[in-house]
Amino acid sequence: MMRLPVHRVLQKAVRHGVSGNGAVRGLAAAPEKVEVFIDDKRVLVEPGTTVLQAAAVAGVEIPRFCYHDRLSIAGNCRMCLVEVEKSLKPVASCAMPVMKGMRVKTNSEATRKAREGVMEFLLINHPLDCPICDQGGECDLQDQSMTFGSDKSRFTDIHFSGKRAVEDKNIGPLVKTIMTRCIHCTRCIRFASEVAGVDDMGTTGRGSDMQVGTYVEKMLMSELSGNIIDLCPVGALTSKPYAFTARPWETRATESIDVMDALGSNIVVSTRTGEVLRILPRMNDEINEEWIADKSRFSCDGLKRQRLTLPMLKNQNGELTPVEWEDALVGVAQALKSARGNQVAAIAGGLADAEALTAIKDLLNRLDSELLCTEEIFPLDGSGTDLRSNYLLNSKIAGIEEADLVLLVGTNPRFEAPLLNTRLRKSWINNELNVGLIGPKVDLTYSYEHVGSGPDSLNAVLEGKHAFSKQLQNAKRPIIIVGSTALQRADGAVVLAKIQKLCSTLRAKGSIDQDWRVLNVLHRVASQVAALDLGYAPGAQKIRDAKPKVLFMLGADEGVIKREDLAPGSFIIYQGHHGDKGAEIADAVLPGAAYTEKQATYVNTEGRAQQTIVAVTAPGMAREDWKIVRALSEILGIKLPYDNLNEIRRRMGEIAPNLTRYGDVEDANYFTQAAQLADLALGKGSLTTDPLDVPLKELEDYYMTNSISRASPTMAKCIQSVRKQRQSKY
Amino acid sequence: MASPGAIIKSTTRQVKPLLSLDKSEARRRVLNLYKAWYRQIPYVVMDYDIPKTVPDCRKKLREEFDKNRHVQDIRVVDMLVIKGQMELKETVEIWKQKGHIMNYFKETIEPKPQGFLSKFLAGHE
Amino acid sequence: MAAQRQLMRQSYGVFRGMFLQQRCLSVTAQRLRPDDVDKALSVKEAPSKDTKNIFETKEEVERRLKLQENIQIDVPLDLTPVTGVPEEHTRTRRVRIFKPAKNAMQSGTANINRWRMEFETRERWENPLMGWSSSGDPLSNLNVDFADKEEAVAFCEKNGWPWFVEDPVEKVMKPKSYGLNFHWNRNTRVSTK
Repeated sequence: MMRLPVHRVLQKAVRHGVSGNGAVRGLAAAPEKVEVFIDDKRVLVEPGTTVLQAAAVAGVEIPRFCYHDRLSIAGNCRMCLVEVEKSLKPVASCAMPVMKGMRVKTNSEATRKAREGVMEFLLINHPLDCPICDQGGECDLQDQSMTFGSDKSRFTDIHFSGKRAVEDKNIGPLVKTIMTRCIHCTRCIRFASEVAGVDDMGTTGRGSDMQVGTYVEKMLMSELSGNIIDLCPVGALTSKPYAFTARPWETRATESIDVMDALGSNIVVSTRTGEVLRILPRMNDEINEEWIADKSRFSCDGLKRQRLTLPMLKNQNGELTPVEWEDALVGVAQALKSARGNQVAAIAGGLADAEALTAIKDLLNRLDSELLCTEEIFPLDGSGTDLRSNYLLNSKIAGIEEADLVLLVGTNPRFEAPLLNTRLRKSWINNELNVGLIGPKVDLTYSYEHVGSGPDSLNAVLEGKHAFSKQLQNAKRPIIIVGSTALQRADGAVVLAKIQKLCSTLRAKGSIDQDWRVLNVLHRVASQVAALDLGYAPGAQKIRDAKPKVLFMLGADEGVIKREDLAPGSFIIYQGHHGDKGAEIADAVLPGAAYTEKQATYVNTEGRAQQTIVAVTAPGMAREDWKIVRALSEILGIKLPYDNLNEIRRRMGEIAPNLTRYGDVEDANYFTQAAQLADLALGKGSLTTDPLDVPLKELEDYYMTNSISRASPTMAKCIQSVRKQRQSKY
Repeated sequence: MASPGAIIKSTTRQVKPLLSLDKSEARRRVLNLYKAWYRQIPYVVMDYDIPKTVPDCRKKLREEFDKNRHVQDIRVVDMLVIKGQMELKETVEIWKQKGHIMNYFKETIEPKPQGFLSKFLAGHE
Repeated sequence: MAAQRQLMRQSYGVFRGMFLQQRCLSVTAQRLRPDDVDKALSVKEAPSKDTKNIFETKEEVERRLKLQENIQIDVPLDLTPVTGVPEEHTRTRRVRIFKPAKNAMQSGTANINRWRMEFETRERWENPLMGWSSSGDPLSNLNVDFADKEEAVAFCEKNGWPWFVEDPVEKVMKPKSYGLNFHWNRNTRVSTK
């Protein structure tokens, strides 16, 4: 059964014909394949593939330590040595490109002896740390020594000079380093240099005295630093918050989606006895490849702190006291008894799932209210949120690899969507992508052209006066990414409209492919696209204008609406999982479930619906969000028509069919119409002179952006360390 | 990708029969089993000295058979008949005890909350 | 000696008369005289009949043969009445069918080439006796592996569990080149060695 219709599959095949070394782009036919014999099995591979890759195509997995699919080839571990016929020496299969008619033997005597030899050398200086090493049970060295190593040890030197020992390095509060275990595969160095873009890790000395580290005590200042923990094949780099907590065979792995940013990276939540221990990445080539950002990885200890576990109501003294569910729901129903129409409103925060959004929308609609808003602003002038193409990342994250020019407007993708930035960097490295930025001069880990920092540069580019506009005109596949931060401004509508006009003029030139989409919007929160798909109004202005008596806050923790904005004597109901700014001003608190505790739908910034799966159940008396709303509706007497997950998903599918088509992205269209309607917005105002600033400029701003990360002690430690590192002279 | 829920596609297959060759035979078996149980009930009430009357037991018998009324697959019907026959044998030979017979009435089992609101208030499921 | 032989021959004749069909386990050389053996070999044994079937009527024979053939069933396979799984754990449970993700900490791919089904997680609480983690969910550890998606779906249908499939995103192999690390011009030139 195909996930995509046939023409989409063919499109994908065309796109993937582009090889990694940036050969002639747009080559529709794959190059002539070369035949290779792996263990007498014939495979046809593209010329230029390595023997290791060809073996993988044949189904044979060659052991390796230093080779990683997403990093450059190093070839220093020598574990991938295989015997090639007619070759005197064994060949490092990770680096050797295949030649026509090559015969490779991956299980011959010579290959086995090579592997045993390499294993023996690696184990000579490797400490006997398995019982205390965190990597035990998921260690490449353990598994490969059992499978490919020899059964006896010949190491007698332990009684004489002993094994080498190396000092531990301090590279921050996230990564624990025990460098004695390091086998110098250089994966961390290559990752830091190529993927993360911080050239801090390296090797010092050589031979036995070689040490991997930052040479001076320096924190690894990258938002992707946690990925070196996954990369390290041994226990040299491990997770500091997770140290000594569990063995992998004790844990249960639940595959889920991350909601710390709008990309929806695929994760695996490891749990044991009903608590979340750690979060690991899951491979998804279209979104996050094999990485996740630090906030997603390490905020899981925030799931245990500041949790709302009991329903609460304000008593006579004005204090929130815990009550039973029935009493809380009845209390809320009392407040809603007389509220109808514009007197009741709802505002959704950044971590709200689509099911809860649907339920609240249905409930409020039955109370004759249309005041449903999100905390994030999106300009409503022009076509606003009516056309999906206005608010999605239309080219898709994987589409960045095919682009030849990217213009970032009012966004710092490095901290707003680190994995998008990874993709941009990957394209910059492999495909010679040119990037321009309109906004503050931030460090994006790759060189870009700083087009300007204010709306005047945007105007200049639009009118063709800037040097960058010429590049834009000549580009065959340009991408313009507008950050949601740029659209939060007062003149956000004008910004978006101007960019839509720019995109339409570029398309009108004719050199851009019909199927190529230029306009992209990068959101900052995971709930925004689902809310817009369901028909929520972005921005709380509608609520401020209407001054309702009852306000539903669905995880709204950014403090956008305050009590002063509502009618006097208002009743605020907060439904969420953490006690943050929203619960502070609430009159009734209904404890909800966090993203690891519910099976919920989140739509990422590309418009791809994905679902999180229940890893642990919500603590205490907390329940799933949509169920709370459904129970409330029953007590109010306007019972919502769904009782279980299937039914509410059917309802979601009625409103927005893409919400239940998990894993798929629908291509949004109507760009020309959107551009025409943008004229309406342009007429409304003009750009102010304020520079296009982004709130997340430095690494310390990155760590705490939502209620879960604000509650996490690990994130707090990160911010402290980053500030301390800024004081140091390195 | 696939919409959630049990999408039952209709299938026609050739399989080895268990006991019956066609529907009428299976129906005959079921009815005979029912009759056997029906006739045994007065003796069950007497032998096991259960605190239920014969009409009660007969009602329960009908309930148990009605539970599987919807089954159309001949082999599943055969399997249910076999299981029913095993139960009957154990009951007739008094290999069961009073508690086993009373289990059919599920008196000591606390009823689980029904309806959305009761389930919501009771706990996580 | 000759008298003994005569006796043997006589007894042999008697034996032969009585047990013509059975091959006696006699070891005397007398018995294995060639013409007797030939005759014995050429005589066919009577077909052995199962004592149950000797007195079968025609209808019973017909039925027995029909039972060995196949019957046709048009209804989809649904074993929920006979599996013994209580109804609360069939209709209300959702099964997720997926290909397990590779462990991010290792580079081995032995565990990923299969399809697996798992149930949704239910509540775990601290047991008051020992502080261990209790659960009321009998299906919490039920993970069945299958060779392909259709088998997994058929299994769930058979047992009456609502299911959904999560298709994995397949990784596309792109050829890597060692030489690019040292390219004279491009950004693929590594700054680390």
